[in-house]
Amino acid sequence: MPFLHERLPNGLDVIAETSDAAVSTSIGFFVATGSRDESDDVSGVSHFLEHMVFKGTPGITGDEINHRFDAMGASANAFTSEEDTVYYASVLPEQQHEAVDLLGAMMRPALRGTDFDTEKLVILEEIRMYDDQPPFGADDRCRASYFGRHPLARSVLGSVESITDLPVEAMRDYHRRRYAPGTMVLAASGAVDFPALVESAKRLCGDWEPAAPAERRRPQPPRQAAHPGTERIVKATAALDYAVWMVAAPDEFHDDRHAARLLAILLGDSSGSRLYWGLVDSGEAEQAACLYQDFLDAGLFITQLSCDAADVETLRERIASIYAAAAAGGLEPAEFERARNKLASRVVLGGEKPRRRLFDIGLDWSHARTYRSVSDHLRLVEGVMLDDVHRVLQAWPLDAPAAAVIAGPDGEG
Amino acid sequence: MKQSLHSTTLGNGITIVGERLPELESVAVAFHAPVGAIHDPSGKCGLATVTGEMCLRGAGSRDSRQLVEDLESAGVQLAQGVSSTHISVSGAMVARQLAEVLPIYADILRRPLLPADELPAARQMVLQNLAGIEDEPAHRTLAALRRLQSPAPWGMPTEGISAEVESIEIDDVREFVAQNLQPAGMIVSVAGRIEWDDFVRRVEALLGDWQAAPAPPVAKGPRGAATLHVTHDAQQTHVAVGWPAPPYRDDTSHEATAALAVLGGGPSSRFFTEIRERRALCYTVSAGYQTSRDFAHAVCYSGTSADRAQETLDVMLAEIARLPGTITRDEVDRVKARAKSGLIMQQESSAARANAFARQWYHLATLRTLAQELERYDRLDVAAIEAWLAANPPRDLTVVSLGREPLEVRHALPA
Repeated sequence: MPFLHERLPNGLDVIAETSDAAVSTSIGFFVATGSRDESDDVSGVSHFLEHMVFKGTPGITGDEINHRFDAMGASANAFTSEEDTVYYASVLPEQQHEAVDLLGAMMRPALRGTDFDTEKLVILEEIRMYDDQPPFGADDRCRASYFGRHPLARSVLGSVESITDLPVEAMRDYHRRRYAPGTMVLAASGAVDFPALVESAKRLCGDWEPAAPAERRRPQPPRQAAHPGTERIVKATAALDYAVWMVAAPDEFHDDRHAARLLAILLGDSSGSRLYWGLVDSGEAEQAACLYQDFLDAGLFITQLSCDAADVETLRERIASIYAAAAAGGLEPAEFERARNKLASRVVLGGEKPRRRLFDIGLDWSHARTYRSVSDHLRLVEGVMLDDVHRVLQAWPLDAPAAAVIAGPDGEG
Repeated sequence: MKQSLHSTTLGNGITIVGERLPELESVAVAFHAPVGAIHDPSGKCGLATVTGEMCLRGAGSRDSRQLVEDLESAGVQLAQGVSSTHISVSGAMVARQLAEVLPIYADILRRPLLPADELPAARQMVLQNLAGIEDEPAHRTLAALRRLQSPAPWGMPTEGISAEVESIEIDDVREFVAQNLQPAGMIVSVAGRIEWDDFVRRVEALLGDWQAAPAPPVAKGPRGAATLHVTHDAQQTHVAVGWPAPPYRDDTSHEATAALAVLGGGPSSRFFTEIRERRALCYTVSAGYQTSRDFAHAVCYSGTSADRAQETLDVMLAEIARLPGTITRDEVDRVKARAKSGLIMQQESSAARANAFARQWYHLATLRTLAQELERYDRLDVAAIEAWLAANPPRDLTVVSLGREPLEVRHALPA
């Protein structure tokens, strides 16, 4: 799978991983901005802006955008996280030109006041939707407790208050500052005509004004929970308790990140893991999982537990003892092999999907200006040894004081 | 495009369907046994689901743990599911692992151990899942719609009913397996980097001597009431609307699904435009199609703040009523473009292809090539869709709401 790269004079990087086997083309703009780049007075603006990008440019209405994507048979959407805003479309190769044209134009949205007021109501509905479903805001609250005053504490959606109070001028200003060519990547994967992609980029994006890139990795994030302890969210109607807790893990650039990923699979994958056999297989927990999430300068081991409210404390203790046993007694070579095979198989199967590759190469380039092929990923996974995972267990203890939140039917802990 | 589609039926009624996709490294395989929630005995709703779970808790010479660990050692992404008509076990993997894991799948289907000491855990797992569903308002709303508008027992919740799951004993599971888990009508679907003849030989060696004893057909009972409100104290109210549509195997199912796609199938659909973009009433709104072999339904859904739910339902009903006679060529062109590009992109996923073949065989007893599928969409036009809508306007609507207050069904639609 050849990798191609060209930088426009204004700093916009254009990259592609091409595949002869692919029958589709995936195209995306990766903007290095998310909730961590916001301030209190604009909390939620990155995600709200992502919606507004679909509401049109000075020359294209929101309806036209929807019609044009559907007319080209595109599967198009966007997402916003703590660190990234990504706009993408998967199309048949003959639609590459049209898809890049539309996505490129959208990156310079009109941000009309009337659209802004209407879309605000949709964002508020989205906030209420997540508020009404598991884990009832426990994940956001827990991240806030873990990160304390660090910007990674911010909610991607924002709150009803912050969205209600947000003025359109603040969004326009945020867009001017954050959607500069030097902090954006145009990426493509699958059946890509790269010369045509670069031509499109020059025509559409060549006149974007460069802006001085802002340093994102400050201040130093905490290496432990800023506010350890357990908070409660009362949801009187909830059938189960939903607990989430977070401790420190390696960041995205740490050599041990693959070992951390393997450790999370071994301990807390949705099947075949120690938590699975210890809590889920018996039907005591609806879910018990350990996830590894990495950021530019921080990482988290996130434990999620859902179960009957009467059992939540017992099962939290059982998970703590599973973690303690792993740290004290180490891991079995056979379970380590299984976890590594599982992860390697996921890398290969995921590598067959151009959409998935788009996200991998786009985020790698946006964060680190590096490219890793599927084979590179496979080598990294297969290069992890049991000792590496043992080192992670010692250096990033899962039984460290955690930030924890339980959402459930009553206030008793 | 040259395609290598295959199907063959063994003497005991197992049909193997598949496609060789040599560009892929992976292979996906699925076994669909023709037994599901419609076979749950009265008072034991959830037995098929408990049985599906029990089949993974030891089979052949492996106990529960060994079975899962051997599949995972081979890097198999294992899935097990129960629908109203099937218990399915499937897996996606790197192609070279297939030969090694096929005997494990055969054991799951033919030689489940069904150990009595695993039943409490399996039952408890199903009960946990049911408790989790209680916290998923959209899922509950759509399940309630399905239950009302489908004939019994097709509408029964495949996940079970808690009080009835609690009464399931090991003899229920063993009897259910003995009576219903058998090869006649089973579909084995495969897609990816395979050698077809070799695959058939292996499946035949593993399953070919399994004796068929087909279960008697299940009789259709009555459907439920036309409206239902479920009281649920939350910020949002959830609304689902459905009505009968032709099943997938019917010649007009393409016209029906195209009409539904115009209504609510993408960002340029009428629901999305009128309900979300124009009025900002919701974040989620959609219209889609759910088919069984002999009947099908249109299914529309939205979730919105309690004080805006009535308006959301009003606009949904108005858009449904407005559909016949108003479809434009642009709308049909967009629906066709989306459907065709979706079909072509399916080639990139072995799992999606394996699913598509199993679905085609179950509903049509034949496989359509990609070219044939695309040709069916090419033939679609405004006249064909309008002719179908004129003969089959949305009627016999079922309306479900879940939220603080009941909603009024205000719009007059043909009964």
